[in-house]
Amino acid sequence: MTSAGLSRRRFLRNASLAGVGALGSSSLLSACATSASSGPVKQAAGAVTVQSNLSSPQAKVAIEALAKAFGDKGGATATINTVASETFRTQLPSYLTSATPPDTFTWYPGSLLSGYARKGLLLDVGDVWQTMGNYSAPFRALSGDGAGHQVFVPTTYYWWGFFYRKSNFAKWGVQPPTTWSEFLALCETLKGKGISPIGLGAGGTTPWIASAWFDYLNIRINGAPFHRELLAGKQRFDDPRVKKIFDPWRQALPYFDPNGTALAFQDATTVLLQGHTGMVLTGTFFADAAPKDVLDDLDFFQFPILDPAIPVAEEGPTDGFFASARTPHVAEVKEWFKYVTTAEAQELYIKNSSGTVLPANPDAKDAGTPLVAKGRKLLSDAKELTQFFNRDSSDALQPTADAALVRFIQKPNELDSILRDWQTAAAKVWQS
Amino acid sequence: MAVLAAPRRRRFSPVLLAFVLVPLVVEGFWVFWPALQGFYLSLTDWDGVSAPSFVGFGNFAEMFSDDIFGTAALDTVIWLVLFGGLSALGGLGLALLLQRERRGVGFYRAALFTPVVFSLVATSLIWQVIYQPDGVVNRLLAAIGLGSWQHAWLADPKTALYAVLVPALWRQLGYVMVLYLAGLKGIDPALYEAAKLDGATSRQQFRNVTWPQLRGVNSVVLSVIVIDSLRSFDVVWSMTKGGPYHSSELLSTYMYSTAFQSLRLGYASALAVVIFLLAFGVIVTYLVRAFREDQ
Repeated sequence: MTSAGLSRRRFLRNASLAGVGALGSSSLLSACATSASSGPVKQAAGAVTVQSNLSSPQAKVAIEALAKAFGDKGGATATINTVASETFRTQLPSYLTSATPPDTFTWYPGSLLSGYARKGLLLDVGDVWQTMGNYSAPFRALSGDGAGHQVFVPTTYYWWGFFYRKSNFAKWGVQPPTTWSEFLALCETLKGKGISPIGLGAGGTTPWIASAWFDYLNIRINGAPFHRELLAGKQRFDDPRVKKIFDPWRQALPYFDPNGTALAFQDATTVLLQGHTGMVLTGTFFADAAPKDVLDDLDFFQFPILDPAIPVAEEGPTDGFFASARTPHVAEVKEWFKYVTTAEAQELYIKNSSGTVLPANPDAKDAGTPLVAKGRKLLSDAKELTQFFNRDSSDALQPTADAALVRFIQKPNELDSILRDWQTAAAKVWQS
Repeated sequence: MAVLAAPRRRRFSPVLLAFVLVPLVVEGFWVFWPALQGFYLSLTDWDGVSAPSFVGFGNFAEMFSDDIFGTAALDTVIWLVLFGGLSALGGLGLALLLQRERRGVGFYRAALFTPVVFSLVATSLIWQVIYQPDGVVNRLLAAIGLGSWQHAWLADPKTALYAVLVPALWRQLGYVMVLYLAGLKGIDPALYEAAKLDGATSRQQFRNVTWPQLRGVNSVVLSVIVIDSLRSFDVVWSMTKGGPYHSSELLSTYMYSTAFQSLRLGYASALAVVIFLLAFGVIVTYLVRAFREDQ
């Protein structure tokens, strides 16, 4: 008994000592949350870590295939760490300010990125751009931090439009419209057949999809330069010019699916494919969630021109990679970047994904379907490209748009107070 | 046990001290220190990346002119009253109903407790499907001839908050029921016998025996429901994200979106301080009253 008691006591004492020891070492690591940790990072061998928010099944397969091909080439290797995109977005500041950040990240160019660049958190990848001489000037401009450094490498981009099923349009005996009045006439015809003409998908956790309507109406009526100024805080949301774009939107509102703000975007896609709605204004990413066999049945038309005097602009969001300034694997990261910007790598990615994105490298072949060819032409014919609401402004501004636009769709008569509230909310974001 | 076996001395054994101090230091480092930092951050303007700049009570002053804060505070009070009140009443009612050992009563208790076991995020995803425009609720309404009541429950600002409340309640009821069941089991049956001998009706038994005996459990239940309602976040965030246009916004969801979407961590910390003061205030008031009654 005694010996058992003793040994137990000794065990407890040892355990508590171990506890104290563990605590001591953890307090050495302590750094208060508000102090930006700094200092050189030890050179470490190993694979380039790629923090990826490409969590939809087909995109995930595609980027993993890309990492595998990179590793098979010999030289450096890459490991993909896929994180749900909401988590990714909220954790990004923590990733970048931690002492041992992941090496590279999937992301898109925009104000958030240039903000991080100004704080010195991003790796200058100017020498990767030396190997990217064939890339178009807009991509180069997009990837800069505004101070002469290149901090981003684009890999793919995609387009937005009114997507519909060819078989359904044939069944209903309707043609894609080219003007706004034809568009409204098409809606009227579809409504007469008992179909909700315009699907939306701004319900649940995807209210941001409604911003596509705002973006397009604004670039069609006020033009892309005004749109960019507005999103950068140089214009006001309660400006009469902004108010004006809600007039055509009001004309289209009666044709919106009454469940447009109740269904999440994924469900709106299903409803469209089932033929309950006629068309949806969306980006090609929605095809990642569509069954492979309907891909051939999909087609789209351009958002109708509202004012022929305004240079045509389209949404052409670009995706790619950037790297942390604190990465210990600078050479390997650049090797990875050089690889993903090659035509070969982008073709591999497109082959493994749903194939509805366009390669940023002009020498790379796209999926080659008529749909993709049409999308590519849409963007190359455009005089100006915009990215998307949150990319041209910031993720912080997006919720203010969500609140305003969903409210407008439900209560279009409150427009004046909606725009006033929007301006108030946006001003807070711009000030901070 | 080892401590009890040791001879009595004035000095505390190092093991005993370690058992007290180690958790204290761990708690201090992982809980109190971050909490204090939260208080400090509430007095600053911070984007999460650059160094925070001190703004005094500016964040708290901003709340008075912030309409969304007003909505969120009101919704939080509604939530506290409905979520807290209904789960306490319902939990007590169910516990009274299911306290007597009858055949099959175990099944009902287990059935009511089951939702507590599920992850609330998974629960909300299922309820989201139930609330869909062509979901179970609307189809049921149509089936019983109330088609005109059909509704986009989560998309209508008038119903969104209450629609989110239902799954939260569905889960909390079972939890509160179990707490009350444990309390009811702890009441001495002799008290009921004596009351019966005196001719007390079942209502009198409840008022003069059961309720006073449940005082200890009541304070636990109150703390649990106040804390649970103020930290209710996951269910709202995964179903509506506080929308449509802030109509189902709680202080907790507003805090989250301010911190991680607007990247205004100073203002978000100030909101967290308000939530803390609310929870602390309600519970302390109750405890002080409870102790005073005891004396």
